[in-house]
Amino acid sequence: LRTDPRIEDLLRELAPQVLGALVRRHGQFDACEDAVQEALLAAALQWADEGVPDSPRAWLTTVATRRLVDEWRSESARRRRQETEAVLELPGQARPADQDDTLTLLFLCCHPSLSVPSQLALTLRAVGGLTTAEIARAFLVPEVTLAQRISRAKQSIKSTGIRFDLPPQPERADRLRVVLQVLYLVFNEGYTTSSGPAVHRADLTNEAIRLARMLLQLVPGDGEVAGLLALMLLTDARRAARTKPDGSLVPLAEQQRELWNTAQIEEGVALVTRTLGKVPIGPYQLQAAIAAVHDEAPTAEETDWPQIRALYEVLDRVSPGPVVTLNRAVAVAMVDGPRAGLALLGTLDTDERMARTHRLEAVRGHLLELAGDLVAARASYQRAARMTASLPEQRYLALRAARLG
Amino acid sequence: MKYMIMMFGDAATMMEQQPKEWIAEMMQFMHTLNDDLSRSGELVDAQGLTDGSQAKTVRFKNGIPVATDGPFAESKESLIGYWIVDVDAEARAIEIASRVVAFIGPAGAPPVEVRQIMAAPPEI
Repeated sequence: LRTDPRIEDLLRELAPQVLGALVRRHGQFDACEDAVQEALLAAALQWADEGVPDSPRAWLTTVATRRLVDEWRSESARRRRQETEAVLELPGQARPADQDDTLTLLFLCCHPSLSVPSQLALTLRAVGGLTTAEIARAFLVPEVTLAQRISRAKQSIKSTGIRFDLPPQPERADRLRVVLQVLYLVFNEGYTTSSGPAVHRADLTNEAIRLARMLLQLVPGDGEVAGLLALMLLTDARRAARTKPDGSLVPLAEQQRELWNTAQIEEGVALVTRTLGKVPIGPYQLQAAIAAVHDEAPTAEETDWPQIRALYEVLDRVSPGPVVTLNRAVAVAMVDGPRAGLALLGTLDTDERMARTHRLEAVRGHLLELAGDLVAARASYQRAARMTASLPEQRYLALRAARLG
Repeated sequence: MKYMIMMFGDAATMMEQQPKEWIAEMMQFMHTLNDDLSRSGELVDAQGLTDGSQAKTVRFKNGIPVATDGPFAESKESLIGYWIVDVDAEARAIEIASRVVAFIGPAGAPPVEVRQIMAAPPEI
């Protein structure tokens, strides 16, 4: 439906601003969200024919407000009187863009009381301006399922009486972490290549990057927001080199680095450089810094592993966990030899949190192979292949094992 | 995360052994379950398969694939239907499967299997 990419970009940028303004004015997030979606569709059709109006934001606000009024008119007379009075003063005179409204909207869509799938769907629709059909395609679920998910999330916001306000300062940092987590999950979802039309999945990574960019404009001082954006850019920069045309995975060490997106790497590195050491350090910044060290190495052999190891040691202090230990073991192996890495991995054997993931065995297989213990490496790869929930990764691990057979 | 909840067994035999009230209740149960999953925004797909007696099995025989009538697995083990749900966590998929088992288990139906669909992002 939306054909002109410039119009689409503009609409998606304006969507959260218009919705934020409407909700700020009238409350009723669910009704406002429906009205804005309708206004976006109307704009996509009309602007393609007649051109973009002088004040596109005011145009959208006016049309969305009219939809709201129409909706209210169809409700009870008592209600109609009340609400119409409230609306009459508005059309065409939207106040200047209030950037905080977009941020408030993001906090609302990522409210901790909503389930994770609901947070993702609602964020993409209300803040990202995607249609239900587009989101459903991206998540490979029927459109009606996704529509239900969104309507339930809205219902839940309504019934729990969540207010359209920025979270109070004491909890804002925690709430921001949830927002970052949601954006990271959207990004990761786009990274899945196991099934479905790859083009839609790639759209999700682009959308996550776009939303993270927007968020950074709203909270420029937050190092973790910059860190997440940098991490996404530096990871996504390797997209073209990461899979072969047949869909099989290429590990970092074997990727054709000339296929990496240098513009994205430069932007990511600049973000990391700008924030590191100036703001309190957090896990996204550190992971971005590690990704930057990888991306800056001209060849796999020239990777600065001592620096990566040092960064993992900091990450281990800031945000300890088994996955950090796992990655640190790889860095230790590259600096001090595979046996040192395997010794560190051994500390995870009794960790309940690792019992159900394939990653421990996948990394162990890799380090055992480096150590020359091919029989044990093969067994580890095979165990990992049985445990992964990613189809391309299962094939990759099976291939690694078969190679050693 | 998407999970497939698989129901095995022999629906025809089970229904032949149950009173008509149970069959009516079962239909109502399945209808309500699908309705609930659809309203919660978790249902991706739900399908039933034709009776195992209608199956064709394709085998590799004398160097070529050959189709024969009948199921490969014994009918009491064969797949009769499934749900695909998109849920927050494995615990929720197990909860849905438990609801099915709580209903069909007392009628002697075999256990229900819950398997994750391979759709996680690769981590290599």
